[in-house]
Amino acid sequence: MTKVKMDVDLGGVHMQNPICTASGTFGNGRQFESFFDVSELGAITCKGVAAEPWAGNPAPRLAEITSGIMNSVGLQNPGVRGFVEEYGEYLAGLDERGCRVICQVAGHSIQEYIDALDLFEELAPFAAGFEINISCPNIACGGAAMGATPEAAAEVVRALRPHTKRPILVKLAPHDVADIARACEAEGADALTLINTIPGMAIDVRTYRSRLSRPMAGVSGPCIHPIAVRMVWEAAHAVKIPINGVGGVMTGEDAAEFLLAGATAVSVGTANLVDPVAAPRILSELEAWAESQGVKDIHEVIGACRC
Amino acid sequence: MSAAAGPKLAPYTLVWKHEAAEDIWDICLETEGELVQGLKPGMFVNVAVPGDPSHILRIPLSFYRTDPVRGWICMIVAAVGEGTRRLCSLEPGEGSTLLAPLGHGWRMPQEGAMRALLVAGGVGAPPVYAAARMLQARGIDCDVVMGAKSERFLWKEGAQALSGNDSGAGYESALSRGGFCEVFLATDDGSYGYHGFTTGLAEELVGKHGYDVVMTCGPQPMMAGVAKIAAEAHIPCQVSMERMMTCGFGACNTCSVQMADGTVRACCQDGPVFDAEEVLWK
Repeated sequence: MTKVKMDVDLGGVHMQNPICTASGTFGNGRQFESFFDVSELGAITCKGVAAEPWAGNPAPRLAEITSGIMNSVGLQNPGVRGFVEEYGEYLAGLDERGCRVICQVAGHSIQEYIDALDLFEELAPFAAGFEINISCPNIACGGAAMGATPEAAAEVVRALRPHTKRPILVKLAPHDVADIARACEAEGADALTLINTIPGMAIDVRTYRSRLSRPMAGVSGPCIHPIAVRMVWEAAHAVKIPINGVGGVMTGEDAAEFLLAGATAVSVGTANLVDPVAAPRILSELEAWAESQGVKDIHEVIGACRC
Repeated sequence: MSAAAGPKLAPYTLVWKHEAAEDIWDICLETEGELVQGLKPGMFVNVAVPGDPSHILRIPLSFYRTDPVRGWICMIVAAVGEGTRRLCSLEPGEGSTLLAPLGHGWRMPQEGAMRALLVAGGVGAPPVYAAARMLQARGIDCDVVMGAKSERFLWKEGAQALSGNDSGAGYESALSRGGFCEVFLATDDGSYGYHGFTTGLAEELVGKHGYDVVMTCGPQPMMAGVAKIAAEAHIPCQVSMERMMTCGFGACNTCSVQMADGTVRACCQDGPVFDAEEVLWK
């Protein structure tokens, strides 16, 4: 048992430790229960869900690259009703077991975000908070454009804020994070999750076509980690609300970097898909690292980077 | 380790290997017998291969035979990509971890089924081999079509073992066989057996014999062709789909299969074996 006090408050999401899972990389938790006790984690972020079901993008949706992957899933989801029907009971139980559940809200327009959030409010009492995905690179007309400028991001948060009293987290695209973070904070966001995948391209040099079903896809994994750490550091200096750092965390030391850069929580993403016990391993590695530093409370290292 | 039912993570080591055809390896991995017990024909495992930390994904692989007592999983691997080349170059005693059991395998045909047609293209052969053994054990006769681009890529040992002319894989002879099995080999270039695609041979066979079920695994255009032949002859057909996969257990939604009813299913979790009529072929 660790001697380090690990619990953190991610904008009203009270986590027993800082380790969370990134949306789209952890199913909805249940898929991992045969590998480890998911309730050991601080929180999980569920797959993005819209008011109505989405079919997502055609295959192929995946390409492996050096030290990472690219995906073009396109937010395939069963709609809020289908999601709650399939996972509601499990997720309510997970919350009771001590692991917070963050539901991710997807939409192509402000009205679609509102519709999804209203349905979540009605049907998902187990949700400790809502992560608004304004930055998915893989959907045609919403997502990335929605969160592309501080003004656009502010508009989404302003529209959604009156629809829930529960914490709102905003998931940011990997650009202009300081300005966009400030805009979200000003409109009442409780926390920020960053970064989403970085738009990239991979071309098959034999067929001259994209290796995925669309020209662009989201890059994730260890190759984006230093970029994500830098952006968390920039955002942490721009706002007072807490940050959930995401991007290529494979080890406890990777997670520690995010905390030092100013993140309050750290989400494990691509690593879950490679090693299903990555999240609990990273948690124990993080605890061991904190102990090795003589830390009594994990808050001592949040934002402690000396630069 | 959690007690919840489902796939598990376990260490493995390579026990033996030999080159079965050009750049095609017959390899045997040893892992926990309990996991192997759960592997039914048509299911798969997701294998981490040591030696290159810059390639982070596991490799999803089917198998032709398992031995739960020894914890053995026997597979045919084409060393075509960076990861499969690394796997096939492992030496006995080397290994990493794997996830198993994954997916849903072949379904037993309806009661009273007497004769099956099985069609394999390329590295679709191992799960088709496993299907034949599953059906034979139930007393169902199997006609197995195995095709490859050229003779040098044919898994002849598998064909010999299935047709009962095997001398190499000694453990096979200990199996009590129920149904009869006849193997038909085809090559695209005519260098061995039937000259042409497996679908041509399958069509001839369907014209001659009455089959109660068709099962197929191989390139998607081949399976689409087999599915069409089966549908026209009103024979139920199961297909084992192949997709780029990441996790292998339903967490990432990357291995989508479009269904005829407009829905999208996960190849890894809902498949890889589907009823052919459920799949949207295009």
